[in-house]
Amino acid sequence: MTRRSWVQVVGAAGLTRVSVAQPIARKGRLKQAATRGCFGKGRTMEEIAREAARLGLKGLDLIGEKDWPILKKYGLLPTMAPPAGHSLADGINRQERHDEVEKPFREALVRAAEAGASNLIVLSGNRRGLPDEAGLEACAAFLGRVKALAEDRGITICLELLNSKVNHPDYQCDHTAWGVEVMKRVGSPRVKLLYDIYHMQIMEGDIIRTIRQNIQYIGHFHTAGNPGRHEIDESQELNYRPIAQAIVDAGYTGYFAHEYGPLKDPLESMNRAIEICDV
Amino acid sequence: MDRRSFLSTAALAVPRAQAQPVPRQGRLKQGVARWCFSKWSLEELAQECARLGLKGIDLIGPADWPVVQKLGLAPSMVTGGGSIADGLNRQENHDKIEQQMRENIERAAAAGVPNVITFSGNRRGLSDPEGLGNCVLGLNRIKAYAEEKGVTVCLELLNSKVNHKDYQCDHTAWGAEIIKRVGSPRVKLLYDIYHMQIMEGDIIRTIRENIQHIGHFHTGGNPGRNEIGESQELNYRAIARAVADLNFTGFFVHEFVPAGDPRRALEQAVEICDV
Repeated sequence: MTRRSWVQVVGAAGLTRVSVAQPIARKGRLKQAATRGCFGKGRTMEEIAREAARLGLKGLDLIGEKDWPILKKYGLLPTMAPPAGHSLADGINRQERHDEVEKPFREALVRAAEAGASNLIVLSGNRRGLPDEAGLEACAAFLGRVKALAEDRGITICLELLNSKVNHPDYQCDHTAWGVEVMKRVGSPRVKLLYDIYHMQIMEGDIIRTIRQNIQYIGHFHTAGNPGRHEIDESQELNYRPIAQAIVDAGYTGYFAHEYGPLKDPLESMNRAIEICDV
Repeated sequence: MDRRSFLSTAALAVPRAQAQPVPRQGRLKQGVARWCFSKWSLEELAQECARLGLKGIDLIGPADWPVVQKLGLAPSMVTGGGSIADGLNRQENHDKIEQQMRENIERAAAAGVPNVITFSGNRRGLSDPEGLGNCVLGLNRIKAYAEEKGVTVCLELLNSKVNHKDYQCDHTAWGAEIIKRVGSPRVKLLYDIYHMQIMEGDIIRTIRENIQHIGHFHTGGNPGRNEIGESQELNYRAIARAVADLNFTGFFVHEFVPAGDPRRALEQAVEICDV
């Protein structure tokens, strides 16, 4: 379904697409999105969607299905559907859970694809003593079971890289090389990594080189300032503009989503984040 | 010779270039590595450093120390003992390194030079615990002399992924463990921000958690080891601010190869890190 036909369907369904106050013009070589948390506390989903559209974002990440109609109303996509049938700590790295996870995961994938979502997230789960090779095999096995459905439905399953040093102790998919090995074994154009720049700066650094070397395995990006997971501006150690430039130059066409907790005015910070990465 | 008498002596002999240095906030004592500006004569580099408000030049030989000192600059890091490939991680190198260290520390102390550099050496199959133990043994042989002479021995962290394959001191945790075991105020790490961004990232947190083990910094843009500005992935201003906020009193030295105009590159680097 193209973006145009999707908007028409929405119109036909009676969810009239509101005309947003003239969205801010962006170069848009990088399609930017954000998570709800970037908009601070106290805003309704409706207000967030309206502001996101006005700021020139293309979608919102990790929004529950019940709120997708609100995104549609403002012309936004669910750019990353939330986890289904599993969680960050209890993920797909356990072979014995695959039967239990597969059904809700497949159902959620179908619903997400029907709603025009571009991606669906998946998480490795915590190690709990599981060796890296065993976790790798299990993740590849689960993704092997669902890849044909994702290919058929035209949605990309994204395995997220997270840090296990500060925010998610014991999470297994915490290094790019490990995640890439999962991708190589699965070998599907609809199974990719969610490369979270903040998390990977904590775990391994060398951001631009790592992205360039692995761009074919990356289906989505997350951002945040380090240390602190706040704004991506001058207050923290990464220069996000050359990182965004490198991603565009590598020919990346997916979404690039901000995922930080603002310390300053959330809307001003979001506008600034988009400007920094609008290369 | 203190800094004031340095300057007044220098003023007699030296060009006007340093008479009006660019004013700086100066919370960080910045310097530059000689080899990065090899197209300039040392005299030219030293004059430009003095004009820009830099305080030191790293990695110059004893014959060149007076050239920079007469302009009020410190030879901020000089040869100690060993080489990148053959260093303290092998006991069979210790006799030779100890001898080099004693000579170089003595010469540095006599000239008022604050730091001497040393290296782990390459792994060549040596395990991390074994290399660590050997580095501790080697540094223990020279620490008392360094303390007595008031010269700091700095063990350099380098990347083994891109520039120095097989170098052993390639992670902060490994280096910091050596410094803890040696336990001398005169034995520290040289934390190279460029190298550590390649190996492990998480720069500001790592610096904060290990500042007591760090005696010296190097910079460089990543990827590429060129200018430290907008063309690369690290925000050096925020990093410099974090270092200054920790009341770090050592040198913070630029070690990158300018891709563009070297004069502009150095000036920009100093401005970025003047916090």
